[in-house]
Amino acid sequence: METLIEVQNFTFYYGESPVPALADLNLTVRRGEFVGITGPTGAGKTTLALALNGVIPHFQGGRWSGRVVVAGMDTAETPCSRLARIIGSVFQDPEAQLVATDVEEEVAFGLENQALPREEMLPRIEEALTMVGIRDLRHRSLKELSGGQKQRVAIAAALAMRPAVLVLDEPTSELDPQGTQDVMEVLRLLNREHHLTIVLLEQKLAAMAPYISRLVCLHEGRVVADAPPREILRREKLLRELGLEDPPVAAFFRQLQRAGLYSRDLPLTVEEGREELGRLFAKEGIL
Amino acid sequence: MPPASFLHNLHPLTKVVWSLAVVTAAFFLQGPLPLLLLWASVLAVAGAGKVLRQVLPALKGLALLAGLFFLFQVFLIREGNTVFTLFPAKGIGQVTDVGLYACTVLALRMLAMTSTIPVLLATTNPKDMVVAFVEKLKVPYLYAFMLVTSLRFIPILQEQLDLVLQAQRARGRDLEGRNFIKRVKAVVPLALPLLLVSIRRSRTLAISLETRGFGSGPRTHLRPLAFRPADIAATAACLLLAFLVILL
Repeated sequence: METLIEVQNFTFYYGESPVPALADLNLTVRRGEFVGITGPTGAGKTTLALALNGVIPHFQGGRWSGRVVVAGMDTAETPCSRLARIIGSVFQDPEAQLVATDVEEEVAFGLENQALPREEMLPRIEEALTMVGIRDLRHRSLKELSGGQKQRVAIAAALAMRPAVLVLDEPTSELDPQGTQDVMEVLRLLNREHHLTIVLLEQKLAAMAPYISRLVCLHEGRVVADAPPREILRREKLLRELGLEDPPVAAFFRQLQRAGLYSRDLPLTVEEGREELGRLFAKEGIL
Repeated sequence: MPPASFLHNLHPLTKVVWSLAVVTAAFFLQGPLPLLLLWASVLAVAGAGKVLRQVLPALKGLALLAGLFFLFQVFLIREGNTVFTLFPAKGIGQVTDVGLYACTVLALRMLAMTSTIPVLLATTNPKDMVVAFVEKLKVPYLYAFMLVTSLRFIPILQEQLDLVLQAQRARGRDLEGRNFIKRVKAVVPLALPLLLVSIRRSRTLAISLETRGFGSGPRTHLRPLAFRPADIAATAACLLLAFLVILL
């Protein structure tokens, strides 16, 4: 698969800070991947997101070295507005990242900045809203929407610019479990049906693990693990050392594994867990 | 969805012209009756635009303000015949017929002038107002955007303030003291977190704008505003009426 994002030995220090926020970081993302990036607070998730969309080094000052290449363009040499057409960005605070008063205007904002003619905007708005499943909210005021709906508007606003990759920085941190799941389902759909490459920076490991194809763990600005989520969840020591959330279903089956009762892949969701338990009970002749 | 009316569909600048025409007329009209009629015409326009109920609270506030204005002024005018005195024994609080007349005119003038503003705001999408100013009056988009964004952030700040208040009450901080100095002192621990949160929010907004290609060159608008025949007619009518009032 074609490489879309290439981070090469990237190091970044905020202002005069002696501690690097990102330390000699290397990461490759290929087209079509759904990559989850996790790590404790301060591990460098937000800094990495800002480095990918060019806010670092264009907007956020600091000392840096190394390279970030997105779709063949070096971010340090490409203006943010150009990168905006390749990387769609969604942030944590649904309130502060929205600029308009109603849904349609919000989704149109990026297109207006690109000076697209109106005839081209209308179908793109329709398409973006349909992709995230909120076509019926098109003419609603942003004030009336729930947090989850607002985040989907933010995703639609990014999608309308037809980016090659979507970078989301803790998009669900201010959402309730239902809102979180809604956003995750939308991301899965975008990845599977529309073959959009997604980089999701997220602390909620249990919520994210069932959806992603690859999990990257950050610690003190470095990549310390990079594997499919099921493999990483097997490494209890790593989870504990990084202070990561240990999804309860996976944790339970790890206990069974240790007791020698279970040898298959770790289930990630309650549904998968139920199925595996049923299989186990049948095998052991419990039911 | 707001209820659509002819008033909602008019070009924002047409409504600004109407507002200015009312202001001009209010300056030139002298008697209480003409001013009352002018104010009634503003209410009639609001009624025709189906926003009378919506602007009623704002109108009540403005009427209250005009009333206060009246009360402050009425005791200061000494000319004319005294109608009554508030404290006859001390000779304080004289109200004269000239004073009553002049203050009624002033209060009505103020009321008529300011009443167009809530009507204007209730029938115009802020974004449309920006587009109108940018396209027709050539105001730089950046300034217009700044204005609308600051308006949009007011309710968000209000929510944040409530949150800070609740957080401090939960920690047993008394913010309801009657003592003026105490109340001023209580503002600092309120203002500081609010300021910090606002700075963080505006940073997020700036980053969000950056990643959506804001300010990268000329831009287009989703809802271009056309100056229609109805706008021309309404603008002409407003100008004509204002002219007539000035001439008379």
